[in-house]
Amino acid sequence: MALLDLQGVTKDYPLGSTIVNALRGLDLSIERGEIVAIMGPSGSGKSTLMHILGALDAPTDGEARLEGHDLRELSENELVTLRGRKVGFVFQTFNLIQSLTAQQNVELPMIFLGVKRRDRLERARYLLEKVGLEDRVAHRPNELSGGERQRVAIARALANDPEIILADEPTGNLDSETGATILDLLKRLSVDQGKTMILITHDPDAAAIAHRVVRLRDGRVVQEVRNA
Amino acid sequence: MLREFLRLAAQNVLHRKLRSFLAVLGVCIGIAAVVGLISIGLSLQAMMKGEVSKVFGVDTFVVMDQDMMNQQRHGAMKEFALNMDTLQGVEGVKIVAAVRQRTAFVQGGVNAEGKAQQGFMPVMGLSPELLTEFSAFTGDLALEPGGRNIQVGDTEVAVLGANVAERLVVGLGDSFLVAGEGKNEIRATVIGILAASEESDADQGFASGMSSSSGDTVYIPYATMGRLWPEGNDFLVTAVKILPGYEVDDVADRAEEALKAEGSRVTAITSGDITDVIDEMLAYINIFLGGLAAISLIVGGVGVMNTMFTSVLERTKDIGVMKAVGAKNRHILAVFLIESGLIGLFGGLIGTVFGLGLSAVVCWALNTFANMPGGVSFPFVASPGLIVVTLLGAFAIGAMSGLWPARRGSRMPVVDALRYE
Repeated sequence: MALLDLQGVTKDYPLGSTIVNALRGLDLSIERGEIVAIMGPSGSGKSTLMHILGALDAPTDGEARLEGHDLRELSENELVTLRGRKVGFVFQTFNLIQSLTAQQNVELPMIFLGVKRRDRLERARYLLEKVGLEDRVAHRPNELSGGERQRVAIARALANDPEIILADEPTGNLDSETGATILDLLKRLSVDQGKTMILITHDPDAAAIAHRVVRLRDGRVVQEVRNA
Repeated sequence: MLREFLRLAAQNVLHRKLRSFLAVLGVCIGIAAVVGLISIGLSLQAMMKGEVSKVFGVDTFVVMDQDMMNQQRHGAMKEFALNMDTLQGVEGVKIVAAVRQRTAFVQGGVNAEGKAQQGFMPVMGLSPELLTEFSAFTGDLALEPGGRNIQVGDTEVAVLGANVAERLVVGLGDSFLVAGEGKNEIRATVIGILAASEESDADQGFASGMSSSSGDTVYIPYATMGRLWPEGNDFLVTAVKILPGYEVDDVADRAEEALKAEGSRVTAITSGDITDVIDEMLAYINIFLGGLAAISLIVGGVGVMNTMFTSVLERTKDIGVMKAVGAKNRHILAVFLIESGLIGLFGGLIGTVFGLGLSAVVCWALNTFANMPGGVSFPFVASPGLIVVTLLGAFAIGAMSGLWPARRGSRMPVVDALRYE
C-alpha cells in the first residue's frame, strides 16, 4: 500500500463569486522513503495539492488516502491528529511563532500531542543539535538568520517523528548558498531517518535532490520523471 | 497541557508589550474604581458599626415603642407603656435604665427686677443607672464644680442644663418648682448644673438627642418623674444590660415577649438589629457604587476585546501554523482565552492595588482633614473576600472579552489561516 494515494482527486473552492477548480481529477501515489518534487507554474494547483497531501484539507471529490485513511471520512479533529503525527511541514516563509524561542517552536507540535515536558525538552534539544543550532536554542526567530530560521522549521517538522516531511518552497526565501545547505540537510535527514519527503518547488536545484519529479498543469499531473 | 498554554499565552502578552499594557490599563482603571469605591463603602460600614458598638457593646439592648420607627417623634406617638419591674425580672437582665421626657411648667427664683422666672421646659426623667452603667448613651455630662449627678435613692433633686440654671435664676442648693399632670408638683433641689459645652450637640451622646440642646433640659430622677406623670406614652428609650453568660439576643427576645404579654407595644433592639439595618442600607450603597464603577470595567473589557481581535487577526498565520502542527480548535481557543484572561488578571492585580490605595488615601484624608465629630474615624478596610472576588472577576472579564475573538480565531480553517498575509 502506498503511503499516500490520490485517485481522481478534484478540489473546488469559491473565490468571490466564481468557483475555482484547483485540482481536476489528479492521480498520484507516493511510496515510503521517496523524495518527490512537485513542480509547476503558478495556478497549476501545487498549493492545493500540498494541502491535501498534508491532510490540511480534504478533496471535493475522488479518493485521498494517507496510510490508508480516507481524508474525506475523517472529522476535523481526526485530520488534526493525523497530520500532527504523520506530517511535518516546512514553509517558504518559515512560519515560526515570533514570541517563542527556537526550542519552544520545536516543542510546539509535541505540546499539542501531549508529550511530557521532559521528553519534549530532550527531543527539541536533540533535533536542534541535528540541524546544527545547539547554540541557538534560546534565541527568538528575529534573532536568527533566514537559514537558521529554516533549520528551526525543519527541526519543528521532525518533532513528532512524522512519516512525511512536506516542504513548500523551502529554499524560496533563501540565497542560493544557504538554500543549498538547507537542501543538503533535508536530503540527509530524509535518507538517515527514512522519511518520505515531498518538495513543492520552483527551484531546479531542489528538484534535483528528488527521486521523482512530478509536474502539474491546470490541476492535473502532466509529467512524471524519475531522476537517475 | 494547561501549563504550556499558560506559558504560550503569557509569552504572547509579553511579546506585545505596549498593546498589552494599554489593554491592562483599561481593565486596571475599571478594577481600581470598583475596588476603591467598594472599599470606601466598607470603611463607612466599619465606621458605623464601630459607632454602634461604642454605644451598645455586646451586653446591652434597648426597648422602644414598636411603632416608633413609623411615627413622628412627637405628635402621633401611640400609647406606650412598659413595666420596669417586669423587665428587671426577665432572666438574664442585670440592670434596667429608662428615660422619659415631658414638657413641664417650671418656676425658679426672681430676677434683678424681682420678677419670678417661669416657663415651659423639657423635663427628662433619668434612671441614675443610666449615668453609671450606660454612660455611652448619655455622653459626657460634665458638671460645674461643686455639683453631683443624680444617684440611686435621690428623690426631689434636679440637674439643670446650663441655660436652664441661668434662665430660672437658680444655683446649686436652690430649689424650684416642677409641675406635672393635674396637681402633681414637686420642689426640686438643684444638685448639679451641666457645664456649658463648647462641643456641638452631636458630640453629647444620647442626651443631646432628647431635646434641642442639653443646655435647655431639666434632669430629674426617673422615680420622681413617676410622681409627676403616670407612666405613659413618654418613654424615649429603655436600656437593658444583661448578666454575663447570657446571649443578648436571647434575653432581648425574652424581654420583648414578657412585655408584650402585658400589653406593651414594644420592640427590643440589639446591636445586631442595628448593624443588620446598616448592612442592608450600605449593601444598596455598595451595589450602587459598584454599579457605577462596573461601567468603567465594561469599557476596560471592550478594550481587551479590541486588543484580542487585533491579536487574533495579526496572528492568523500563527493560528494556521499551530493548526498545521497539530493544534485542535479547542487548543487555539484555550491559548487565546488564557491570554485575554491574563490581561484581565494583570489589570485586576494592579487595579486592586490602586483601588485599595485610593481607599486608604480617602480614609486618611477624612481622618486627617475632615473634622469628624466625637472622634469618629474611618478605618481602612482591605477585605480579602473583595480582593479574591475581584481578581477572579478580572480574569473572567478578560476571558469573556476574549471569547468572541478567540472563537473566531479558533474556527478559522487552517488552509485560509496559512494563506493569510
